[in-house]
Amino acid sequence: MKVTDEEPMEQSDSHGEGDEGPTRAKRCKPDGDRILRPVKLSRDDLYKPPTVEELNQLKEAESLFHCNLLKMQMEELLKEVAISEHRKQQIDSFIQSVTELLQKLPQTPHVELSDLSWLTGGVKVPFLLVPKVTKGKFYMAPPTSVTVIGSYPLGTCTKPGISVDVAVTIPAGVLQAKDAVNQSYPRKRALYLAGLAQHLGSSTAIGTMRYSCLHGNRLRPVLLLTPPGSSSFTLRVHVCPPPGYFKPVRLRPDKNNIRTEWYTGLRRPQPDMTEPPTPHYNSSVLGDMLPMAHLQFLKAVSSQCSAFAHGVALLKVWLRQRELDKGAGCFGGFLGSMLLAYLLTSRRVSNHMTPYQLLRNTLHFLASNDLTENGITLAKDPDSTAPSLAEFHNVFQVVFVDPSGHLNMCADMTACTYKQVQHEAALSVQFWDDPTVDGFHALLMTPKPMIRTSDHVFQLCELGKLQATCKNLNLLSELMDRSGNYILTALPFILSLLQRGLGQRIRLLTHSLTPDPEWPVECDAPQHKDQPPVSFGLLLNPDQAATLLERGPPADSSKALEFRQLWGSRSELRRFQDGSITEAVVWEAENTQQKRLILRQIITHLLQLHAGIPESSVRYIAAILDDVIKVGQEECSTGEEESLTVVQSYDDLSRKLWGLEGLPLSITSVQGAHPALRYTQVFPPIPVRLDYTFFDRHPVTRALIPNEDKPCPMYITPIKVICHMEGSGKWPHDKAAIRHIKAAFHITLGQLLAEKYQYTCQPSATHLDVWKDGLVFRIQVAYHREPQILKECLSPEGLLLLRDNEEAQALEMATIHQPVLTSTLHGLQQLHPCFGAVCRLAKRWLGAQLFHDDISEDTADLLVAFIFLQPAPFTPQVCPFTPAEPVLPHTISPRVTPSPPGSSQVGFLRFLRLLSCFDWSNNPLVVNLNNQLTASDYTEIKNDFMASRERLPVMFIATPKDRKLSLWTKQAPSIQILQRIVIVAAQSLKVLEAQLMDPSQMQDVKVIMRPPLDAYDVLIHLNHKQVPTLKQAVDRPRVIYGQGVLRDMAIKTGGALPVIGFNPVTCYLAELRDAFGDLALFFCDPYGGTVIAVLWKPKAFNPVPFKTGQIVARHLGGTGDRTHTVPNVEAILEDFRVMGHGLVKSVEPMTERWVV
Amino acid sequence: MAPSKTKHAEKACVISEGFTVLSLKFKADSDSQHNIFVKEHLVRAGQTPQRPLDTTLFVLNIPPYCSEGTLKEIFSQFGPVKSVELREKPGSFEPSESKLSKYFTPAQKQGFRVGYIVFTNSHSITKAKLHPLNVPLLVSTEQRPVLTGLNKWINQYKQSITEPDKLQKAVDAFMQDYDKEKEQEAERQKEEAEKQQEDEEGWTKVIRGKRGAKARPHTEVANKRVLQKESRKSKELINFYTWQQRNTQKEYIAELRKKFEEDKQRIALLRVQRKFRPY
Repeated sequence: MKVTDEEPMEQSDSHGEGDEGPTRAKRCKPDGDRILRPVKLSRDDLYKPPTVEELNQLKEAESLFHCNLLKMQMEELLKEVAISEHRKQQIDSFIQSVTELLQKLPQTPHVELSDLSWLTGGVKVPFLLVPKVTKGKFYMAPPTSVTVIGSYPLGTCTKPGISVDVAVTIPAGVLQAKDAVNQSYPRKRALYLAGLAQHLGSSTAIGTMRYSCLHGNRLRPVLLLTPPGSSSFTLRVHVCPPPGYFKPVRLRPDKNNIRTEWYTGLRRPQPDMTEPPTPHYNSSVLGDMLPMAHLQFLKAVSSQCSAFAHGVALLKVWLRQRELDKGAGCFGGFLGSMLLAYLLTSRRVSNHMTPYQLLRNTLHFLASNDLTENGITLAKDPDSTAPSLAEFHNVFQVVFVDPSGHLNMCADMTACTYKQVQHEAALSVQFWDDPTVDGFHALLMTPKPMIRTSDHVFQLCELGKLQATCKNLNLLSELMDRSGNYILTALPFILSLLQRGLGQRIRLLTHSLTPDPEWPVECDAPQHKDQPPVSFGLLLNPDQAATLLERGPPADSSKALEFRQLWGSRSELRRFQDGSITEAVVWEAENTQQKRLILRQIITHLLQLHAGIPESSVRYIAAILDDVIKVGQEECSTGEEESLTVVQSYDDLSRKLWGLEGLPLSITSVQGAHPALRYTQVFPPIPVRLDYTFFDRHPVTRALIPNEDKPCPMYITPIKVICHMEGSGKWPHDKAAIRHIKAAFHITLGQLLAEKYQYTCQPSATHLDVWKDGLVFRIQVAYHREPQILKECLSPEGLLLLRDNEEAQALEMATIHQPVLTSTLHGLQQLHPCFGAVCRLAKRWLGAQLFHDDISEDTADLLVAFIFLQPAPFTPQVCPFTPAEPVLPHTISPRVTPSPPGSSQVGFLRFLRLLSCFDWSNNPLVVNLNNQLTASDYTEIKNDFMASRERLPVMFIATPKDRKLSLWTKQAPSIQILQRIVIVAAQSLKVLEAQLMDPSQMQDVKVIMRPPLDAYDVLIHLNHKQVPTLKQAVDRPRVIYGQGVLRDMAIKTGGALPVIGFNPVTCYLAELRDAFGDLALFFCDPYGGTVIAVLWKPKAFNPVPFKTGQIVARHLGGTGDRTHTVPNVEAILEDFRVMGHGLVKSVEPMTERWVV
Repeated sequence: MAPSKTKHAEKACVISEGFTVLSLKFKADSDSQHNIFVKEHLVRAGQTPQRPLDTTLFVLNIPPYCSEGTLKEIFSQFGPVKSVELREKPGSFEPSESKLSKYFTPAQKQGFRVGYIVFTNSHSITKAKLHPLNVPLLVSTEQRPVLTGLNKWINQYKQSITEPDKLQKAVDAFMQDYDKEKEQEAERQKEEAEKQQEDEEGWTKVIRGKRGAKARPHTEVANKRVLQKESRKSKELINFYTWQQRNTQKEYIAELRKKFEEDKQRIALLRVQRKFRPY
């Protein structure tokens, strides 16, 4: 297989569907059409007189949307989610046949409610019969009516997962007025549904039949029907009582309809005690009676507003991308429609708005209104029996009352879910106002699964344990109200407990919505404990999250008791420096990595203490990947401390350089130009002390030299520091002379440093190595006019021209761009403490997947910086000083608190997502470092990019300092490699997310760090002894060789110069690429990789006519052919061995993959 | 794919364009061999003293581990070798920047190279071209082992460690030369300037200066700046006359249309790529 054989970039072509013929035909266009070219309109087209219609259209696009693009994008999106006419016909005919079948339901004799003998055919009742006993009679009878309800008749039904709701009304005779009490009605409803299933089961018009329940509410099972054959829609059969059958007064939220005596089966000890209210049970019964009324109401509203259906569709897409539209207590499409209806009827939006405006206003309303405090109602003039909003607020967390005034449509929603909706809405509104963000894409097209959204995620496994929690927290009456669903019962209490315990450490607590279970009609309803685990997401507050101390109230205050109760034995009295004595909790953490996991300590402690959930059933998902960037073997630090040591040592060196006296010219700047100086080096250099006996010595300078017979010595990274010298007339105006002057500076600097501070220095023509604190700094003197001088050349007319050339570019990169990038990213790290960790994880992954040489360290850091600078649609960073608009003193307070990815894991996931989903061929990636670019700059960059796409690098990254060239990606990656990176990133993301979220998977997340080697043509196995970075391998080696380093010794300054930057593997790779770069690609993991993978270039083996220029490593081809040459593979393989003598263990040609 | 399947085993192997194929092995016990292609050096124009036509052998496809010294030894079997020149690509002779000391010469690419081997006698070339294909030349032998791999890199590392005083000396030597050159240049310019001054009778002698010896500030950047200044027109009212306003409006609509077209194209492209599926 050659590199080009990879599939082209495609995100979602696995969802092929039948009815999209034209789109598919278009997709088959050749690849060349994938790239945008600047539009060329003829002069006549451009300047012809406009028609009124056209003028209006253009104007509308300008004023309502940011640009045409958004409007058209919306239209396209709506087309995608709309149901085609063909599909509608299928649905209608299926509804027709099901309705007819249902009308023919035979009547059965009356039986006792508990007698299920009439049910045959293996059909089970979709109900958890706890407690078992119920009184009452039951029989099947043909339904009084079968009506289509919900989104389908309203026109708001959208793809994917089309579900059409059908309400089947139970004949009044089957029910009794008292049935609302003690679950009689829900049980009859379930039985009736089972009866329907039994009846439909015999028909051939039905494909599959499964049970499910509405929004996770077990009292409201539904029957899912699909037509025979594969189908993309399902029919949901609901069973309803006749409208108005039960009196709403009896179902008020303060009424009791489940008797304790019946539920527990015990005689009540005090017969005079009042029964607890059962608001959730009541509202679920009420909800069954109202769908027809709701449909009528919505129909009336939507007939007034032409964009209603489209507005709802957009809102549904928005909710769906945020995983808010399904499960128990969800904010589903129905609520969306109702909310829009509320906004329309209360005149907050007008009937003439476009779908886009409707969505925007809805989001704005959500963001600015807190339904947990101030509920809203659709009831215009509710009758006197309807409860007031305050009454609703007493029992429900979120209140949104339906048009009848009796039902709270948000009964099951937790406050946390609403807060999440609110948070998302606020973010979305903000992104839409930001012209630098592609709002459409961020808000409607990007999925936001919890694992990628929340900084930390934890799961409660073994949900059965929550039963004990309910008992612990004394939640019997709530359990009764929720009909025994202990998960939903315990959830609000756990949430409030965590909220109290985590307090300021987090900004948002979210939880996954228990998905609607689905099961075949022949099976019993699944138990609650068989549900998938509940996941909780935490959005951290970076300043507070890692605090060791939880300071409570003073010991004598009234709140002290409360604090002690919350924290239990962990709370202790402490005396602080300011003299106060307060309650406090102190958590243990030694390094940054452990500090990041303090939240885990808190959560497990609280859950154990109050909810009786053992630590073993809490699955905390954060920092699982940190293992691969751990430094050293014994201690488990992840390198933050080490980076800090390096930076401190550098700061010291920089101070000393500034202070040097006796230089002919003064120093104007000292800048770091190395990843270690911005906290992004995967394995930051560790100070070492050397074992001199391990090395040979240089005969003159006494510097250490590796010994041929010993293992390769420890790799000591030279940390690059650029030292600019003052400009002066004394600098020569000639490139060779400048280089000599620089060398002289290196010598002088070295002498001064050695004299004054006793550092061992090693000057050379290009740099000065300083051995300091067990680290090596490589100082490079720079002269700011040198690149300019390199560019100068004389034209024949004697005109001085400036012509860019490679040498000048390389010098500019080293002395200007890299130092600036380093200091900018260093600043970013100060703002976002986990920036470094994300960079390091990302680079470790790139290295492990053998892409290290294609995406340079600087490029990778920039990509990660992009995630931090433009996290949309995820939580953004705030820019207190927007350069575009004047900041008034009182508006400085930020709207949303700062910090994008708050943990390395979520940052890494977003990095993978960025790599795999960004449309590199048509978009520039703009990394707005220091917020220097304005909206107009963005447009300019984009236009420049479009105008000269073909000439620009395939991966285009623009920064404020580099808007047109993409300096960092000029050399690599190539288009083939980029395609491969995209594919590998997508796969890694998929695998990793599955591993993280699914507790049943084997927990080895390192699988994404192990590349498949069977895709390569030749493998060169290296001698482990000579790989200096062996210890950094993803899978730590079993045998570790001595590397000439003394352990546990104090670091001293001075002594012999160590072996600096000596890595046989890099030497070997460089030689291989020099010699065979035209024939093959070479890949290697720089962090402890012991295999070099070789891939022949696709055209390498084509016979080429004999030419003096194209003869590298070739010999005459085939028999008798004396004019063509082919690569001399055997000799090349031999050369691999010869050139890597001492390093190469074996060369393994994977000949099954290729033939010559 | 051993290359020695040819039937002309005992004879020299001559191919198109007058090249002769020789084989080259790294060591006596190596399994496979490289083909190198040799031919007498032949150029139409530009014969240089460094590459005399009759005694220079042009060699193609020299593996990276063959240095000048190694090649000299290998080809000595055909007669005494005067000099060996290795280059990345065939081309005319360029003096290497021999002025610079070793510390300042950039490192060379270590790929396959071409070589120009200058023999003392011209019959050595014929001898080399008659060398049979199945007797490979050996790069590394017992007597003169060629370092590769780890040993080579360690050696390289050792070489890269510079002795400060030697470096200083190299720098000093270069700067002395440079200063001298500068002085000479300055003197020459002074002389020229003197020449152009008026003589006693008020005459100025106009002489043709050397090409490119004009005064320094004559640069592209300066030229551009001047041009820009000239082209900058005086202030003008833009939206004053009716026709001007009409034009502006026309331009505006054209701009909108262009944008609209661009967006349409963009959408079409995204649609093709199915970028509008929110699932």
